Amino acid sequence: MSLSIIKTVSVCKSVSSNEAQLSILNDISFEIFARERVAIIGTSGAGKSTLMGLLAGLDSPSSGEIELLGQPLSQLDDEQRAKIRSESIGFVFQNFLLIPSLTALENVTLPAILRGEGEDIVKAQQLLHSVGLSGRETHLPAQLSGGEQQRVALARAFMTQPKILFADEPTGNLDEKTAQNIIELLFEMNREYGTTLVLITHDSNLAERCDRILTIHAGELQEL
Amino acid sequence: MQTSNVSSGNKMLLRWSLREIWQGQLWPVMAALTLIVACVVALSALAIRVDAVLTSQGRAMIAADLVFNSATATPSLLSDAQNLGLTSSSQTRFQTMAFSDNNMQLVTVKSVESSYPLRGELILMGETEKVSHSVQASELWIDEQLLSLLAVNIGDKLAIGDAELTISGKIIAQPEVTFNPFRTMPSVLIHESDLPKTGAIQVGSRVQYRTFFKGEKSALTQLQQNYQLQASQRWISEDNNGRSADLISKSKQYLSLTIVMVILMASVTLILTCQHYARSRIDTVAMLKSMGASKGWLRRWLLVQVGLMFTAGLLLGSLVGILLELLLRLPLQHILPEQLPGYGYLPFVFATLVALLIGLPALGIPLIRLLDTSAIVVLQAQQPTPSKKGWWLNILPIAAFIFFYGNNSLVWMVLSGLIVLFFVLANSSYALLFLLSRYKWGAAMSLALSRIKRSQKITIMQLAALSGSLLLVTLIWLLRSDLLGDWQQTLPAETANVFALNIAPAQQQAYLQELDKNNITRSPAYAIIRGRLTAINGGKIKDTVAPEKQDINVLHREINFTWAKQLPDYNEVLEGAWTDKGGVSVEQSVAKDLQIGIGDSLDFTVNNQTVVATVNSIRAVNWQSMKPNFYFIFTPDVIAQLPATWLVSFRIDDSQTPLLNELGRNYPTVSLLDFRIIGEKIQQLLAQVVWSLSVLAGLGVVSGILLIFTLLRLSLTQRQREITLYRTLGASRRRISQTLWCEYGVMAVVAGFVAAIGAESIEFSLMKWGLKLTPSVHIEMWFIVPLLALLLVFASLMSAIKQLLQPLQ
Repeated sequence: MSLSIIKTVSVCKSVSSNEAQLSILNDISFEIFARERVAIIGTSGAGKSTLMGLLAGLDSPSSGEIELLGQPLSQLDDEQRAKIRSESIGFVFQNFLLIPSLTALENVTLPAILRGEGEDIVKAQQLLHSVGLSGRETHLPAQLSGGEQQRVALARAFMTQPKILFADEPTGNLDEKTAQNIIELLFEMNREYGTTLVLITHDSNLAERCDRILTIHAGELQEL
Repeated sequence: MQTSNVSSGNKMLLRWSLREIWQGQLWPVMAALTLIVACVVALSALAIRVDAVLTSQGRAMIAADLVFNSATATPSLLSDAQNLGLTSSSQTRFQTMAFSDNNMQLVTVKSVESSYPLRGELILMGETEKVSHSVQASELWIDEQLLSLLAVNIGDKLAIGDAELTISGKIIAQPEVTFNPFRTMPSVLIHESDLPKTGAIQVGSRVQYRTFFKGEKSALTQLQQNYQLQASQRWISEDNNGRSADLISKSKQYLSLTIVMVILMASVTLILTCQHYARSRIDTVAMLKSMGASKGWLRRWLLVQVGLMFTAGLLLGSLVGILLELLLRLPLQHILPEQLPGYGYLPFVFATLVALLIGLPALGIPLIRLLDTSAIVVLQAQQPTPSKKGWWLNILPIAAFIFFYGNNSLVWMVLSGLIVLFFVLANSSYALLFLLSRYKWGAAMSLALSRIKRSQKITIMQLAALSGSLLLVTLIWLLRSDLLGDWQQTLPAETANVFALNIAPAQQQAYLQELDKNNITRSPAYAIIRGRLTAINGGKIKDTVAPEKQDINVLHREINFTWAKQLPDYNEVLEGAWTDKGGVSVEQSVAKDLQIGIGDSLDFTVNNQTVVATVNSIRAVNWQSMKPNFYFIFTPDVIAQLPATWLVSFRIDDSQTPLLNELGRNYPTVSLLDFRIIGEKIQQLLAQVVWSLSVLAGLGVVSGILLIFTLLRLSLTQRQREITLYRTLGASRRRISQTLWCEYGVMAVVAGFVAAIGAESIEFSLMKWGLKLTPSVHIEMWFIVPLLALLLVFASLMSAIKQLLQPLQ
């Protein structure tokens, strides 16, 4: 039996809008196990990103419980959740979210710095090498193309060897060819580091490459 | 290992922070901070220097740091001063007749010690044009005019009371000048050791004892506190000595007001730039939080950046401030003394304090709230939730302000006016814009107006900042102009500088003709009749006037009366009206002291005759103006028939000195009082003050303009995304420029117009109730200020448009 990495029980999320309650997620329950690659798909506004935010402890559900790495998130405060993220979670975002004033190398070392580990330059250089960016270490994000920026983001996500990698539409801002390269790289690194992957996408072809596909539609979750 | 990790992390933090400042994330904040520091350093350094110069000017006028004036000798005060480490010098002053072999003249004798004056300059010129600066035993120095009045030469003998002294030379310049021609008799200086020989000091003789002190301020204050003033005793300091004191105290008030206003303007910009910075950091903070950054780490991250920025801002600001002060001083070079007093470290301490007090809440509050950014923002933009966190930081500047400016009523008046006006300005600007939007306009204007209307809160904020800054700039300028205007009005360039007294009735026509023939600007001739006020409504003065009021000037000696068909136009009638017959017009302070009202009957003794007149009016008299002024002016029927001499004042310039000498020769019995040197001194002081205030006002205006420019640039930067989007969608440069022009232009004009009206009303109240001067309306400002605002919009749009027009990449 594999270890349960993420577990949700009857998770609901609603927001108030103009004094009315708008339900975004409704009674969501599922489990994700170690080293699994899970795609969450759905149309725009279906609640995919909201669910990812809840799973990563970035936001809190209106009701229900989420366990992340065996810890019930509802019993943790912001700081404790941040600690879990810094130790065990990596992110790749649709719009890369690199720090514009840091070089490629510094952006990669950032997660280690947040963990208080200092700049592990050798490791960061290795990671940049593995994503094909050797020689671009001192470049600022503005000097890199979209694909290159996403590669830096990938290298950054693996810097702390996370147990879980959350990828939110990682190819959403890239052209087809570059997107393909990034996806190959993502899956390759995921395999290499033995990470559990939670991939948010609206691309069913991409989802097909994962072990499991969860669909969200109108706040309801189904496993295909 | 752990330590090396931490230090490599810290190094990266430091590098990162430096780059944040360089690469533009923090520069607007740093620019505002640098500007605050630079302005405070420059202005307070200059203020300290100008203050010191003004104070020393004022002290030169009274010949000391502090003067004690008494009708009796006060030896106890001298020993107290000695104990307090103060330098002192005594003067005995009285009026007596001076006799030469040929003539006699009533003179003011100042018997002084060799140490006189303690401040200011005494220039005495002896026979061989040898100049000395102090009076020695057995010397006698006389006003130049006495040489002709007494028909004597240097080296001749002169009898002062019982003493016979040889004239050592003439007085070229002396401190302790006054502008009242009747009180300024020609003066002579003798040494204190020769005083007993004159025999002038006897029981009952009217003598004035002056003691001059020089030393530390604390010791001077202590001296004043230790001594209980008796009747007819008073302290004279540079703050209470007539015209120059008025000039100095108002200039000082203006200095502090300008500093407050510049700081206020810079603070508004700092607050806005800080908020902009905090907003621009939301995504980064959310991203760092999503990656697991703890609040402690984020706090450290922000602190390093802010700390670096503060240090850099302080250093850079101080440097710019020093240069700015130097630059500000350049135009003053010729009128400031060569050895300028240093400004020490105070401006830097003050600037650091101000920067901290404003910077802490301005930056602290948005940053504390920034720390609460939710990590979910990385995935979904969130509506910011209103927060009250960190509000207590606002107490710091408020408390400091109360501490520093608690007693400055002028500053408080401006501030409270500003707070009220801030709301009024913003809302009336918005209302005006709303009104405009109800009319039909072209496409660009309609788009601009609808945008302004849509983002109501932001528009009101921008309007408040814009009109507030414009208002302050206008106010600084208006206040300067009105202050200077008032000073120049009371002492205009064409002020009379010579008074001719004792003109005999037989000489009067010829004398005036002589002046007119030479095109000399002169006042009307006034008859001078000496007399005393003896009774009010039939009651003798000593019975009707309160004992403490019986010592006033008007009662204890004969004073000068005149008569006229009309009152002088420079005397404002406060009560009553001038009549043709049996009337007398009374000066307001005398009327107040003696409780004289309209319709009261007054008895006067003139040449042993009693004349009676009814009070027909009360007049305001400006004794500082160099014009003939009188306590009592009668209708002709009351005293015109009495024997009189005549007085006329006129203005001559240096090229007409020979004429003055000729007048002296042709009319030896006419006393000529030459105020040219004194007048020049006052004009010089005025010129210095005018320069200082103009330079300060200029700086205030320049920093205000810089701040408005920053505000507009910032606001345009915030629109970058929207404009970039328009551009990407293919909007032409013309269309975008037009829309921006309309939007910012209309905002600038409205804010400028409202600011001009606001400044006008504050200026009006300040002049009327704060500085107690006559307020005036400045219609031209209602056009200049909106125009200035438009120019600033033009400049900021021009500087930003290229960047704004770049399409999305």
